[in-house]
Amino acid sequence: MRYIGQKFIQLLIVLFAVTFTVSLALSALPNSKERILAAKSVNPANVEAANAVLDSLHLRDSQIKQYGYFMKDLVTGDWGVTFQGNQSIKTSIWDGLQISLRLMVYAQVIALLLAIPIAIISAYRNGGFFDRTATTTSFGMLSLPSYILAPLFILLFSVRWGWFTSRSENTSLFDDPWQHFKDYFMPTLVLALPLAATYMRLLRADLIATLQGDFITTARAKGLSTSRILLGHALRPSTFSLVTAAALNTGTLVGGSLVVETAFGLNGLGFKTVVGIFGNEFRLVQITVLVLAMIYVFVNFFVDIAYGWIDPRIRAARALT
Amino acid sequence: MTADLNATTASISPDTDPETLDSVASTPPDQPRMPRGSRRGFRKRGRFTKWFAIIWLVLLTFTAVGASWLPYVKHDCSQFANKLDCSTFDKGSPIKLERPPAWAGFSQSNKPTTPTAPVRAGWFGTDSNGFDIFSRAMFGARNSLLIGALSILFGLIVGSILGLLAGFIGGKLDRVIDTVMNVLLAFPALLLAIFIVGFFSNSSAAQAENRSIGPVIIALSILSVPPLTRLMRANTLVYSQREFVTAARSIGASRFRIMVKEILPNVVPTMLTFALTGMAVLIVAEGALAYLGLSVNSPTPTWGSMIASGQTKLKDAWWISIMPAATMFITILCINLLGDVLSERFRIREAIG
Repeated sequence: MRYIGQKFIQLLIVLFAVTFTVSLALSALPNSKERILAAKSVNPANVEAANAVLDSLHLRDSQIKQYGYFMKDLVTGDWGVTFQGNQSIKTSIWDGLQISLRLMVYAQVIALLLAIPIAIISAYRNGGFFDRTATTTSFGMLSLPSYILAPLFILLFSVRWGWFTSRSENTSLFDDPWQHFKDYFMPTLVLALPLAATYMRLLRADLIATLQGDFITTARAKGLSTSRILLGHALRPSTFSLVTAAALNTGTLVGGSLVVETAFGLNGLGFKTVVGIFGNEFRLVQITVLVLAMIYVFVNFFVDIAYGWIDPRIRAARALT
Repeated sequence: MTADLNATTASISPDTDPETLDSVASTPPDQPRMPRGSRRGFRKRGRFTKWFAIIWLVLLTFTAVGASWLPYVKHDCSQFANKLDCSTFDKGSPIKLERPPAWAGFSQSNKPTTPTAPVRAGWFGTDSNGFDIFSRAMFGARNSLLIGALSILFGLIVGSILGLLAGFIGGKLDRVIDTVMNVLLAFPALLLAIFIVGFFSNSSAAQAENRSIGPVIIALSILSVPPLTRLMRANTLVYSQREFVTAARSIGASRFRIMVKEILPNVVPTMLTFALTGMAVLIVAEGALAYLGLSVNSPTPTWGSMIASGQTKLKDAWWISIMPAATMFITILCINLLGDVLSERFRIREAIG
């Protein structure tokens, strides 16, 4: 309980800092007022109109008040409108969030599905041909950022072989599953491959260590089958750092989704952030950054909690520090 | 060591214990545990790859430093009095065209569409402005390496000082530093960088022409501080328990002297090794910023922006983005390989644990 309490206080501090930074970013912007007025296409000479715009963003209040208003708007869901076109930011974020979350979940799942079997086979025949190939390939994969993989995939899959289009639409899974698959195939794979390499290396190392344990020798002596030993006995105690890595890599996924969504033109949160920065949509960028950071913060929080739950040793060790 | 950018900068979470920390800290977790038989094969590979990595990085640094005076076409053709000197300039007509790399002319589909093919094509071909991609990649190497090296240097200085103080003095200071690092790590790394560059660069983000190297370096330095601080703190904690520190303390050495003369020299190899892999991560991060159009201004080439600029033309001119991408991939791979070799050499794993 004390552990959870500590984590919770930490979460509150982080939440405060994140929201505070993001909320004050608007007024800390160099020449913020002029640029916001320009983005809203309001003539600064027209004092009344200009002040109305600035007041709607609470930019003329003190910093503390600004933060208060920002939090109030955030909690009540009154997120304002985009500077150009006066569209609701909330709907825009909601649409983007669905796409981004889908992409992240797919990538995470595919990465794990790739990593776990490969790691098991590599660890079982440690040092064999498959293992060496897999380890070398994964090392190469780690040096492949998504913006290098993306053009490569587009070149191969859409230009050379013409299987997929290089720009992805967002087709719903239920309307047209095949089209949905085609839209998400390349972005997901680009995100998933480097992740899979990380996971594979972690799990393989842990599995090799576990397989040298005495209980594995016992299991073998009992005459259990290899698959039973690997899947039933060795896998579970080895997944600990994998779980950690999977949680921590949410950050990688968020960052990667920025690049991948831009590369494939998926209209998710990351793409909206990038477009927003170029379009001077500061309010929209504030909220997208906040939402993306929140995903990361909360995933980490829950994993920390779950962690202490799974393994009491962690709870004890953490309590000491 | 993951090249994916958040992995180092962000994946050392607020509460990772040393075990996770060091799996991130650049030793592949598998190496030390490898049974003897397989290890031999790896070692043989290691020797070859080590030298390959060193040679590549030396060559690259050499090209990056000497990009402006090495005998190769500049990325801007306008500086040639005789336009024909600029290999990419289409003879007879001022239209600038994409040209395939010189060695790729064998394939029919790779031939340039116009009959007036250039006499001499570049090693990497030319982009749609008619600029030679190889020389642009040379200048891009200069930018990418410079940004990566400077930001890891700043991160190293700040992170070392903070980590040393946090680990050695401890107490309230430690808690404050830890909280600040937690907050910095609460943002996904690339998002934080984009936020800093996009919001706080001097000019409006739309007018990318004025953007200089400064905000990018600041953003990337901020990214690199928390992991380095954590590593430094962990190491300082280990070393401050050792006998020689107790000995120094008992003969009355000041705290400053112990930190600088006793602890710091022991931690330097670890920090430098980690910084090397960190540099790869920052180069990747810079590439991502450039790919999104948020790094240095657009006529100045960086690898990321070169990849981005060619992506819409993959159908007609694959080399525009693939060649810089390949250069970048090999560079990151080499830095990672070297970091691997070094971390095995200095036994980073043991040092932290």
